[in-house]
Amino acid sequence: MMNILLAGRDKASMTALKAGLEENDVQTAWAESGSYALSIIAEKDFDLVVTDEGLGDMTGLEFIKTIIALKPMVNCAVVSSLLPDEFHEASEGLGVLMQLPVNPGYEYAEELLEHLKKILNLEVGAA
Amino acid sequence: MKNGRIAIPSNGKGGLDATRSGHFGHCDVFTFIDVKNGEISQISTIENQEHVQGGCMVPVNLLASHNVNALIVGGIGMRPLMGFKQAGIDVYHDTERPEIKPVVEDLIAGKLPQIKEDQVCGGGGGQVNHA
Repeated sequence: MMNILLAGRDKASMTALKAGLEENDVQTAWAESGSYALSIIAEKDFDLVVTDEGLGDMTGLEFIKTIIALKPMVNCAVVSSLLPDEFHEASEGLGVLMQLPVNPGYEYAEELLEHLKKILNLEVGAA
Repeated sequence: MKNGRIAIPSNGKGGLDATRSGHFGHCDVFTFIDVKNGEISQISTIENQEHVQGGCMVPVNLLASHNVNALIVGGIGMRPLMGFKQAGIDVYHDTERPEIKPVVEDLIAGKLPQIKEDQVCGGGGGQVNHA
C-alpha cells in the first residue's frame, strides 16, 4: 500500500484529492504546517508528499527544498497557482513530480498515481 | 582519484573521445571510466533510463547500482545532487569543456572541483548549462 502525505493550511482544499487517492488504495496522512510535516517525514517514509503552495510557516517550495536536504529520495508534488512556465522556473532543480491546480479534484488522484508508479518502476529498474 | 569509477553523461554512443551531454538527466548514455592506480583501466557505457518529470532519482539509482564513485557534470539540480551525496557519489563540476577526455584527466589528477550547493541549477544557484 502506498503512503502519501498531504501538507497544507486548508485541509478542505485537498479533500477531493485525498478521497481519490484513498479510493485507489493509498494511505494518506495530513500535516497542517511545514514544520509538522517535516517532523513526520523525519520519522516515516512516504512514497509521495503533496504540498500546498503555502503552509503558513513556509512556502511549498521552501518546504520541498528542506525535504530534499533531509530525504532526497522522497517524491513531491505541489499545488500551485503559477502558470506552468512560471512554475517550471520557480521549481527548477527540485525534481517536482507534478504541478497540481489549486483545489485539486478527485480526477487528479489517478494521474498523480500513474506518474508516481512510473517513476517508482523506473527507480527499481535502475537499482 | 587513484581507484574508482567515474561517470560522465555523454552524447551518442559515449566513450573517452565522445562529448559531454548538455543535460545530465537527458543524456543518451553514461560513459564509465574505471581508474586503477591513477590510470584509466577500462572504459564502458550504459544507456540512460527514460527521463520522466520528477524522476531525478532514477539516474542516481542507476549510477549507484553500477558502483560509480564520481560523476562529472556541467550543471545539476539540487535534488539529484543531494541524491548522489546520499548515495556516496562525489559530484564534480566543469562548465567549459565539451570533451570527456580532458575533464576525466583533470579529475584523476585531482584538479577538478566538486560542485558547491550554490552552483546548482535553479533555486538561486549559478547560471550553468545542464550537463
